[in-house]
Amino acid sequence: MALSCMRCSAGAGNGAGSVRRGAPAAPSFVRCGLRGLATAAAGCRVAAAAAAAAKGVKGAMDAGVENAVRSVAPSKVENGSPSEIIVDDFQDLISLSENDESTVTITVVGASGDLAKKKIFPALFALYYEDCLPKHFTIFGYARSNMTDAELRNMVSRTLTCRIDKRENCNEKMEEFLKRCFYHSGQYDSEEHFRDLDKKLKQHEGSRVSNRLFYLSIPPNIFLDVVKCASISSSSVNGWTRVIVEKPFGRDSDSSAALTRGLKQYLVEDQIFRIDHYLGKELVENLSVLRFSNLVFEPLWSRQYIRNVQLIFSEDFGTEGRGGYFDRYGIIRDIMQNHLLQILAIFAMETPISLEAEDIRNEKVKVLCSMKPLQLEDVVIGQYKSHTKGGTTYPAYTDDKTVPKDSLTPTFAAAALFINNARWDGVPFLMKAGKALHTKGAEIRVQFRHVPGNLYKRSFGTDLDTSTNELVIRVQPDEAIYLKINNKIPGLGMRLDRKTDVETCPRYSKEIPDAYERLLLDAIEGERRLFIRSDELDAAWELFTPLLKELEEKRIAPELYPYGSRGPVGAHYLAAKYNVRWGDLTTEHKA
Amino acid sequence: MAATGLRFRPGTVFPSRATSPSTQPYHHCSPQRMHAAKGRCRLKAKSSNGRPQISASSSSSSFRDVVIDGGPSEDGAPEQGGATVSITVVGASGDLAKKKIFPALFALFYEDCLPEHFTVFGYARSKMSDEELRNMISLTLTCRIDQRENCSDKMEQFLKRCFYQSGQYNLEEGFSELDRKLKEKEAGKLPNRLFYLSIPPNIFVDVVRSASRTASSSSGWTRFIVEKPFGRDSESSGELTRSLKQYLDEEQIFRIDHYLGKELVENLSVLRFSNLVFEPLWSRNYIRNVQLIFSEDFGTEGRGGYFDNYGIIRDIMQNHLLQILALFAMETPVSLAAEDIRNEKVKVLRSMRKLRLDDVVVGQYKGHSKGGKSYPAYVDDPTVPSGSITPTFAAAAVFIDNARWDGVPFLMKAGKALHTRRAEIRVQFRRVPGNLYRRNIGTDLDKATNELVLRVQPDEAIYLKINNKVPGLGMRLDSSELNLLYSERYRREIPDAYERLLLDAMEGERRLFIRSDELDAAWAIFTPVLRELEERRVAPELYPYGSRGPVGAHYLAANYNVRWGDISSDT
Repeated sequence: MALSCMRCSAGAGNGAGSVRRGAPAAPSFVRCGLRGLATAAAGCRVAAAAAAAAKGVKGAMDAGVENAVRSVAPSKVENGSPSEIIVDDFQDLISLSENDESTVTITVVGASGDLAKKKIFPALFALYYEDCLPKHFTIFGYARSNMTDAELRNMVSRTLTCRIDKRENCNEKMEEFLKRCFYHSGQYDSEEHFRDLDKKLKQHEGSRVSNRLFYLSIPPNIFLDVVKCASISSSSVNGWTRVIVEKPFGRDSDSSAALTRGLKQYLVEDQIFRIDHYLGKELVENLSVLRFSNLVFEPLWSRQYIRNVQLIFSEDFGTEGRGGYFDRYGIIRDIMQNHLLQILAIFAMETPISLEAEDIRNEKVKVLCSMKPLQLEDVVIGQYKSHTKGGTTYPAYTDDKTVPKDSLTPTFAAAALFINNARWDGVPFLMKAGKALHTKGAEIRVQFRHVPGNLYKRSFGTDLDTSTNELVIRVQPDEAIYLKINNKIPGLGMRLDRKTDVETCPRYSKEIPDAYERLLLDAIEGERRLFIRSDELDAAWELFTPLLKELEEKRIAPELYPYGSRGPVGAHYLAAKYNVRWGDLTTEHKA
Repeated sequence: MAATGLRFRPGTVFPSRATSPSTQPYHHCSPQRMHAAKGRCRLKAKSSNGRPQISASSSSSSFRDVVIDGGPSEDGAPEQGGATVSITVVGASGDLAKKKIFPALFALFYEDCLPEHFTVFGYARSKMSDEELRNMISLTLTCRIDQRENCSDKMEQFLKRCFYQSGQYNLEEGFSELDRKLKEKEAGKLPNRLFYLSIPPNIFVDVVRSASRTASSSSGWTRFIVEKPFGRDSESSGELTRSLKQYLDEEQIFRIDHYLGKELVENLSVLRFSNLVFEPLWSRNYIRNVQLIFSEDFGTEGRGGYFDNYGIIRDIMQNHLLQILALFAMETPVSLAAEDIRNEKVKVLRSMRKLRLDDVVVGQYKGHSKGGKSYPAYVDDPTVPSGSITPTFAAAAVFIDNARWDGVPFLMKAGKALHTRRAEIRVQFRRVPGNLYRRNIGTDLDKATNELVLRVQPDEAIYLKINNKVPGLGMRLDSSELNLLYSERYRREIPDAYERLLLDAMEGERRLFIRSDELDAAWAIFTPVLRELEERRVAPELYPYGSRGPVGAHYLAANYNVRWGDISSDT
């Protein structure tokens, strides 16, 4: 995190943090942000890192970059990859980078897909707009369909938007950006076609140190083909090559391990960037800040004070004709095993030694390893059925044409998890994820214990647990943090009330960057904090695999719930088993 | 506090420690409860000046205590108009009476918080007819913003119950005349009498003597509300208490500190004791220092006569700020009953180190011209002796030598003629040990610590300063305020402190009144330093009218590694 702290901070020299220990802070500040435009290319970390890699050995280059950037002891050897290249002098790098000697090429494989159009290209443009991309960069779209560069640009331009607060020069900027976008058509399993791509890339790169980022926005069954071809025929010779992959990372422990093994045939760990876009969200980032930079939360963050933690994800729409992919995975794999579990790990981890990626990921792995694999009785699954309301009929999941009629795939799941370590022993972590529910949102709810020997117990009624403090961290739709506190209602009597108002961040007029922007920038910079390491992934699958197998083997039927409802009531019974009430479904809520 | 929750609950027999508040323990004096309230509000159900608060059943043990609730009201079938309350405002023509007491009584009447039968008497030396008194009062009565309907009707009704009796403060004649009139109004009902002494301290004892001898209730309770000053040091306060006790029992004396009637001070205990999240934080382990700040943006403005005799330390610190401190720092009481709370407060006060001269800074405002306007110095006030060294500003560092607070500086600051008007408590927490984000904070780790602010006035607020990430691709931290009090949610106007305190006195709820031993303990802390200041004639540091006060306050804070939270560069 510290690394990213100077990003885009537009000339702010005022204690916004600096590059690690003694590193040249000043140039880094100006990297992104309009004012820094002129100097942006010089001294920015990307350039520096790239230059470092230039001295490195292929294959180990990433580790080299990492070390260069840190300029600290080589204590962070990642997963056995040789990382002995220590760049001795930062000043060196700066002078190198000042010569504009490196370039980054981002190749979006699967360029015609939905994600590419809706998220990746716009995120790249936003980064460009904010001067977060290095001075020399090239963007390539790669897909099977035949398309010219102009056609790609047309396609891309339709989804580009400028941030609300920075409309000026938008068109110009768009123009400039599009000029750097190119297209190459080819098969996903053809080394030859990737060799052609390599040729084109080289043209654009010229004599600069070339760094290459591949974003695989493609179905999982062709992951390996693409990785193989791309790494063999279009890896950078003198810079780094990194590959971003999106979920699904397998469907259970075995298939995930097989995928990892396959990837590692062609790539070293440090080249693999497994993206979980939830981790790029602003509030997930803020979660660590909240925990670790505020003393007031420190004593509270354990079984002593926390009664339960709830991780809730809901969508208010179904698969809507796009259930083909979903049906093979189901909500547990699609949401719980990755997004919710990742947030849980960040929430529950011990304080890391530092904010560096490996330190954080080490702590996350420890949490995941301390968790009890899920038992069938601790899970409730559901599937939405059709529902008619106000004249509109909403379809059932199995009405979706892309879904088999007799599908048992859960579109809703609730689960109780436990972390068997000193901090969390006995505290239920409840997860809930569902489609076609009455509301849309993602939040973490932390319910505290009741006040022992509460003096005001008579103002609360019999159930002391209904008026406990609750910390709510809402990830979406409106990011917010709030704390429910008991207060006295003004007046001559003594009535207590629990506040539920919301603290958002209205003070910051800046638009919150999309998760993909942050993650792309991190990948370009080699910041791995928000990407999932192989051992993390293994640990995550281990928790869910036995359960998933059992669900499928026993063909357990999901509890049906109406489209647009609050989900199956089974979730309440699951919670009740552990003495929990879902915080999002209380009567005090409007709906 | 819970005790107040029960007020007016229909059919409640037991006061504070009652067992089962079955239904709706709270609505208080709301108009829709008028019916229910009449005749069975706690006023009647409650024990009188007997052993306070234990419960109705044990109250019979005490003296002169005609247990009012022993009557038919006990079984929940109250007899209409069994008892009556007379409130006599002694010093009725004074400022406080006009501005605060009568309006508060009217507000209570408006909200049906007064018993069905009540009488209000004004007592003072000047000759006045009932009509004249009513005229005088009516000028200051207002109706709450949210309850304008029937206001004039209500006012009319209220004024009809107001009467006047003129008489000397030190003669029994006037009071026996008053007694006669009171009896007339009481008309055979069980009489309870409340005297509000809104008079200078030098005649407290005279009035108490005369009133208690000749105008005490024969069969109900008789209570006296007294206002500060309660002496000027340990001895004079002890003397006053002894004199009062010649004529009154402890349970009849209601020493008012109107700060304790403020909504937020009430809320302080709720905040502390009904929210688990504060429980682990409330000690030396997490709290670095506590600041109690009071400032006024005006001087004595020609009314310095009284003030010059006392000075800011006696006027604000020794009572208001110290009381708030005691509530803030006390251990969890056994219950919310008055004696339990006051016991804990006394413990805190007695654990406090006596204040030393080194730990005090005194100041006095001087004249200042700004924008063509010139503001007078304190000594320019014609009612103030020109050589006065009475402090109009004081800052002090006090320590509580108990297990919870050992070593935590409690800084107090009070002043007149400052740049702002406010009263607040600031709790600064320690820094995060081994902060992962230290590089985002800069060298002074104490700068970015959490801070809890409880603002009593002008706008009540409770917020917690927490560190947050500034949204965006970088990692910049910023402190933002987590609002913990949403006054907007409650459209109701907040009752004035005097309303609460008057109602409490009528109900015999002593939680917010100062007990004699509390008062002694409070004086014991301040008396030595006050004496030293006066004996050595320590000159106050002068500060310009409208400024932030003498810089000495900063040095005092710096001695204990504290920065005043209200005067930082970001505010």
